[in-house]
Amino acid sequence: MLAEQIANGVVVGGLYALVALGFTLVFGLLDKLNFAHGEVVTLAGFVALVAVQLGASVWLAIPIVIVVTGLSGLLIELLSFRAFTSKEGHSVSALSSFALGIVILEVVRLEYGAAPLNLAIPTTIYTSGISILGAPIPWVKLATLGISVVLMIGLHVVVGHTRLGRQIRAVGEAPTSAMLLGIHVTRVIQYVFVVASALAGISGLLIAMQGGFVSSEVGFTFALKGIAIMAIGGMGDLRGAVLAGLLIGIAEGIAIHYGLGGFSDVLVWLVMIAVLLIRPEGLLGGGRREVRA
Amino acid sequence: MTGRIVAGLEGVAKAFGGLRAVDGVSLDIPAGEVVGIIGPNGAGKTVLINLITGFYHASDGQITIADHNVTQWTLHQIGRLGVARTFQNIRLFRRLSVLENVMVANPAFTAHPLRGLLALSPRRQGRDEAMDLLALFGLADRADQSAGELAYGDARRLEIARALATRPRLLLLDEPAAGMNDRETEALVDDIRKVKPRLEAIALIEHDMSLIRALADRVVAMNYGRIIAEGATGTVLSHPKVVEAYLGQEES
Repeated sequence: MLAEQIANGVVVGGLYALVALGFTLVFGLLDKLNFAHGEVVTLAGFVALVAVQLGASVWLAIPIVIVVTGLSGLLIELLSFRAFTSKEGHSVSALSSFALGIVILEVVRLEYGAAPLNLAIPTTIYTSGISILGAPIPWVKLATLGISVVLMIGLHVVVGHTRLGRQIRAVGEAPTSAMLLGIHVTRVIQYVFVVASALAGISGLLIAMQGGFVSSEVGFTFALKGIAIMAIGGMGDLRGAVLAGLLIGIAEGIAIHYGLGGFSDVLVWLVMIAVLLIRPEGLLGGGRREVRA
Repeated sequence: MTGRIVAGLEGVAKAFGGLRAVDGVSLDIPAGEVVGIIGPNGAGKTVLINLITGFYHASDGQITIADHNVTQWTLHQIGRLGVARTFQNIRLFRRLSVLENVMVANPAFTAHPLRGLLALSPRRQGRDEAMDLLALFGLADRADQSAGELAYGDARRLEIARALATRPRLLLLDEPAAGMNDRETEALVDDIRKVKPRLEAIALIEHDMSLIRALADRVVAMNYGRIIAEGATGTVLSHPKVVEAYLGQEES
């Protein structure tokens, strides 16, 4: 039924938005795309898998995933972004992070193969739930939605109303001025990579929990959609990423309802092309490129 | 004042390819003084400021600030040591509010942005101090406007307020009166006099000689990357070499 697919679309859209937020934060700060970002989503699933295999409960796996993926953000920043500050640095960072993403992916595949693996978490998490307007909603989807909303609001508050957020926006607009004012630009960039990667990590974990399995393909799918959603929402715009994520998620849900599920992967790109034609700066871009809450 | 040196340059040079934009400059900026730096366009004044603040690193010579050899320090280190500047072409965070431009420069938070992350109350984020600074420059009622919307004179004042928010010992002003009319320049003189007690020293690059006469205790005149005269303001402004350097360039 349509309501169920729209509800699914909202949940998936929230996950898209979490991934897109990571892209847009880094882009808004450095004007660079982090192509390793998607593979952090994959990494998160397999970190959860390892944690659970080693005997951790799913509740313990959550903080483990957040810490490991957050730290992976530091590594990505160090290896693929720190050294490349010149004008040419944009393409170098893009290439380097692209390579780093593939390394993460291939290391995962080397160890675990390409086929999806069962994540041993209680099945009730994704089989039982409640019914809203006649649409059955499993607990994991409710939790996913709740966590997404909390993270989005939290990010909005941090970027818009805290010391760190002010520094992030200042660095995004004029890094040299920020530096001279004594702002530790490198540290601000590190924080942003940790936050962006932890967001990808949380989404990766939530994605794995939707169906109780992990797959090495999820990162690529979500990276592509995350980039598209960032562009549709407006580069650097946090609200734009959330709005575009929800729009695409719901549009996909509707497409699935009308038996056009196979079409859903084309949909996002058609929307992106259309939005860019009409508003090259994205829905909420407003001709600005730096991070904004 | 004691004659203590806030910033000292010793044989400082900066070459860009074959061009020696700054060519062996030695200069002391003593505590309690406003040092005017004058000279025709291309004399190397702004390059000198860029060297002191770490935008460029000297090809030769040594720069000392507050007894630290900062010749190879980064912008961020020099900023934290207490050097602040304004730019010839004003550089604000145009997307941040007027108030945020000042708050973001508070040195209590720039070192550790995470400390007090959960301190969401604006007061604990240094809002009151920032508002005091804005009030000093008559910008308090524009606090919530975005800085990009400010008129030129207000933008210039905000840039100085933001520089002061870092609690600097040394303030470098790069042509602060550029683009201002006489009335605005007079107001600027008042503003700089007002902030002088908050600083150990000021270096003032300026073409507007009325500003130099009103504010500078001592003047250094440059041409072709070198100092051609220095000393008391009146003496330097009437020095034959200085007059010659400015002839056909600017009136002095």
